[in-house]
Formats: sequence, structure tokens, C-alpha cells
Amino acid sequence: MLENDLFNNVIQDFDTGYWELRTNPDREIWSAKFYETLGYKKEELQSTIDTFFETLLHPEDLELFRDNFLNYRQNSINFKQHIKIFDQTGNYKLFRCSTIDNLPVNIKSSTKILFFFEIKLESSNEMIKDNFYYRETAQMTQTGSWYVDFHEKKSYWDFETRRILEYPDDYVPSLKDSALYYSEDCQQQAADCFFNCAMAGVPFDTQIKMKTANKRIFWVRAIGKPVYNEKKEIIGIRGVFQDIDDNKRKELRLKKSMDIITSQNSRLFNFAHIVSHNLRSHTSNLSMILEFMDDIDNPEEKLDFLLQIGQISKSLNMTIEHLNDIVAINTNKHQEKKEVKFKDTLKLVTHGIGQMISLSKTEINTDFTAFDTIEYIPAYLESILLNLITNAIKYKHEERDPVINIKTYIEENKKYLYIKDNGMGIDMKLFKDKIFGMYKTFHFNEDAVGIGLFLTKNQVESLDGKITVESKVDVGTTFIIEF
Amino acid sequence: MIHKIELACIIDDDSLYVNLVKKIIETKQLCENLMIFKNGQDALTYFEAILGSLDQHKVPEIIFLDLNMPVMDGWEFLDNFTKIKNKFKKTITLYIVSSSINTVDIEKAKGINSVKDYLIKPVTIKDLEVIFSQQTS
Repeated sequence: MLENDLFNNVIQDFDTGYWELRTNPDREIWSAKFYETLGYKKEELQSTIDTFFETLLHPEDLELFRDNFLNYRQNSINFKQHIKIFDQTGNYKLFRCSTIDNLPVNIKSSTKILFFFEIKLESSNEMIKDNFYYRETAQMTQTGSWYVDFHEKKSYWDFETRRILEYPDDYVPSLKDSALYYSEDCQQQAADCFFNCAMAGVPFDTQIKMKTANKRIFWVRAIGKPVYNEKKEIIGIRGVFQDIDDNKRKELRLKKSMDIITSQNSRLFNFAHIVSHNLRSHTSNLSMILEFMDDIDNPEEKLDFLLQIGQISKSLNMTIEHLNDIVAINTNKHQEKKEVKFKDTLKLVTHGIGQMISLSKTEINTDFTAFDTIEYIPAYLESILLNLITNAIKYKHEERDPVINIKTYIEENKKYLYIKDNGMGIDMKLFKDKIFGMYKTFHFNEDAVGIGLFLTKNQVESLDGKITVESKVDVGTTFIIEF
Repeated sequence: MIHKIELACIIDDDSLYVNLVKKIIETKQLCENLMIFKNGQDALTYFEAILGSLDQHKVPEIIFLDLNMPVMDGWEFLDNFTKIKNKFKKTITLYIVSSSINTVDIEKAKGINSVKDYLIKPVTIKDLEVIFSQQTS
């Protein structure tokens, strides 16, 4: 008998006829519901395999069902099949016949059971109702369905797909030009998704930018899965597009402000450290002097200390000026940005250090063909160029005259400027993390202060740009600014 | 009879601080000789040079090391110094002396074996006296 009450309850709730397989083929058990559905009385129909095969089952279904049935009986291979069964009124009724493993609930039974779910054809009234709900759901969730048929080589869109892609109701989608439905930078992504799905049967669920009939770019969640025929060949892809533009844009904006806040926070943190460290080094000297002054009696020596206090005050001033410069960058970034021509700014800079350039026999080559102007705070661009050019000259290679190449270029829609020299270079292994730090010097020049690159980095970053460096000892250094 | 420290070493780029400490040490007669390097690189060059020398008088008993210095900073010096430290036949006590109050720096320094202690600038006369007397006792 059946294993437990739970199982019995489930069977009852199912309201479905079943066949409990027995070891003795003449004593099969067909449930009351099974008889009831077909309209037979228990006594007029003997529950044997032969009866089922010869009297009840439609001959069309016999061959496949027999295979399935015997396989299940002997080898426990589960199956699902649509079959037609002859009822008491002389008509065939359609059933979905399923083994226990294919049930939507997880129940265990030691006996083998076949279930018969009657398939009632929906009345046209219900179809209309369903269609209404489907349209409502599609519109409210802005989700359009589509189907790509590989045999017919055609795409089908529903009304909502046409609506979110802004095409007219009678528009026929083109399979050949399907790449054009995606924004240029997402066409590869779309091609990969569809190719993988069509070739390997890999379903996809991705976020992608699409292009409407009016050339508007918007964000879509695209879900697709392969459609198989009976031979398990992939014959198409079915899926949905959901318009998620509002949410996605919010998400992107949020992420951008997160990035800005994170970078500002790290700069502030850095700045707090710099302030603390740099001011502390002076004040600690001051307090040491005062302590020591107390300790000695010789007036002449005390006078000497007073001179030193003057020195400390001077360096303290200098430090505070440097710190002011940094603060100024962050407050000045609201200064008006202007269209600045690289050529003009460079002229201004080279004019100012004309003597330095001619004395060092520096050669400066420029190439601003990729783009020759930039929306920037003019004073910053000037300061950045001045810093990088004077650095290149200061740290030139002993054995050659400085050559500086300045060039603009565009990569992946981003604008870059590089300044490349043939100077002594910086040992990147040792100094990689320190190049843009405050008061860090890497060369043995006495007059190196270590503030220039720190300022440059702050200026670039305050306008949401980035600066990176590549360098090789004895070869030269390249600074790359991303605007 | 108190044994006085023969040689101490300061590695620091802040000349004002160095002069002050020097003066304190001289006035208080805390040790006989003092050696000064402006950065880690200069100091390391010296230590590598006297490795082979048998003259123990050239090896300092105490080192005061700053962290923020140009060319080679204190961390890098420590890295290199730790590698050669045991080749000297003398115990060298190393103190880090920095104006950094960053706890990251302090923890990192205390985790290094060859570092005896971390002193935050300003160093007081008393600090120095204690350190030098500990060394001799």
C-alpha cells in the first residue's frame, strides 16, 4: 500500500486518477478517480495492463507509451507523455501521463505510480481573460516578449517589445539587422549572448543597452533561453526584454557619486595625515628647543636657540603655504572651466621658463591632432604642464639633452594627454606608491621639494581626472593624464 | 664605573631636529661619538661598508631612525638592515623616532623584530637619558 498519510493527502488534493503498479500484472490498482474521470464502473473494467493497452489507449499512442511504460516498470526510468484514453461515452480524452518523479511536489513512494492529468481545452472566454492579464502584466512591468525562429529565420516581437523599442505596431523585426537594436558598445555583448544560447544552449539574463527606433539609448534586462524540438535540437530562442532604464540610470548615478565620495574621502584622509605629520614635525622641534632652553643656563646658547626658533617659524610658514595650495585646489575647482587650447597654454608655460629650456637645450615636440582643446580650469592646466615640464628638465639624463613629447589621444571614448621625457627615470619598483606623495623625492637633487607632483595629482583629481606614471631608469618617464 | 655608550647613530633628514638631539647628547654627555645620516640610503651604504671590518668601534650601539625621509625612507632601511643585522658581532638597539602618530605606522613598527621601541617626536631630554642609561646598565 501507499507509504504514508502525507502521500495520501497529496494524492487526494491532486484530484487526479492514478495507476499503482503491482508486481502481478493481473492485479494492477487503478484509483477511483481514474474510473470516475473515464466514466467506467469498477466492475466493468478489469485493471490489467492488457486492458489498458488494448481497450483504453489510443492506437496512435500505443507504441511510444509501451516503451515508456515498460522502461519505467523495469528500469525505473521516469517519463511524461500525452496520451488519449477511450472513455465510457465512446470518445477519446486527452491526458498528461506522468511518473511520480515528474510531480511538482517532492514525495517519496516505494511503489511505482502513474498519474493521469486530464487536459481540458480552454474555452475561448478564458483565453480572452488570460490574454488581458498578459497584456496588463507586460505593460505594467514594461516587459516585452520575443522569439527568434532559426528555421524560418525570423524574429517575432509582441506589442510591448515594439512599444519599448518605439517601433510601430505593424513593424516586422529584422533578424539580419538585429545588431542595430543594440547600442554600438553593446552589440558584441548581444552577439555573444545569442551565439552562446543558439550554439551551446546557454540561457542568458543580462543588462544591456538597446537602441530604439528613434535612436534613443536605454537600459534593458534581456533574458533568453533556447527552444528545443523533439530531437533536442535548438530551433530558436525565446525571451523577454524589460525596460529598466530608470532604475539602471539611478544605479549608475549612485555609483558615480559613491566613487566621487570615496575618492574625496581618501583625499581628505590623506590630507589630514599630511597636515598632522607636517605640522607635528615643526611643533615637536619647537617644544624640544623650549625644553632644552629651560635646561641650560648659558645666555649665549639661549640666544642661539632663539635663532633656531626663527628658522622653525620660517619652515612652518612654508608648510602652511603648501597646505594652503592644496586646500585652494579643492575650493577652486568651482572656478569657471573654459575651453583651453593646449597650444596656447603650452606657449604660456614655455615662455615663463624660456631660459630654463634654452639653457638645458630642451626640445619639446607636440601633437594635439586627436583633440586640441579641453574644457578645464586654465590655471590648472598651466600648473600641470609647468610642473611636468620642469620636472622633465630638472631630472634630465646626464648624457643627453632633454626631449619632451606631449601628445593628446582618445581611447575608448576617453581623452588622454601624455608627457613623455627621456630623462633619468624613476625606479618604479622602489617608488611606485610614493611618486605622487607629499614631500617625497626620489632623486639626489638638493633642491627637490616634493610638492609639485602632489599638487599636480590633486589638481587632476579635483576635476575628476586621473594621473598615472610609467618610468624606466635611464630611459625616461611618461605621465598620462585621463581627463 | 659607568660604561658610557661609545657610538650612537641618527638617521633623519630634519637637520634642525638632528642638531638639537646632537646638542642634548653633547651637553648631557650621553655618549662619546655620534654619527648622522640624512637618509636611509646613506646609512645603509655605511653599514654595508663596515660589514667586513673587524673594527667594532665603527658599529653603533644605538640607532635612532626616522620614517619619512627622501631617497630611502625608514621602512626600506629597516628591510635591508634586518637582513644584515646579525652579521655584526655587537647588539645594535634600534629606535624609530617619528612625528607620525598614525597607528598603522606604530603597529607596523612594533611588529618588526629589530625595532626596540617607537618614539613619537618630540623626544624629551628625559627620554634620551633613560634610553642611554638602559643601554649601559
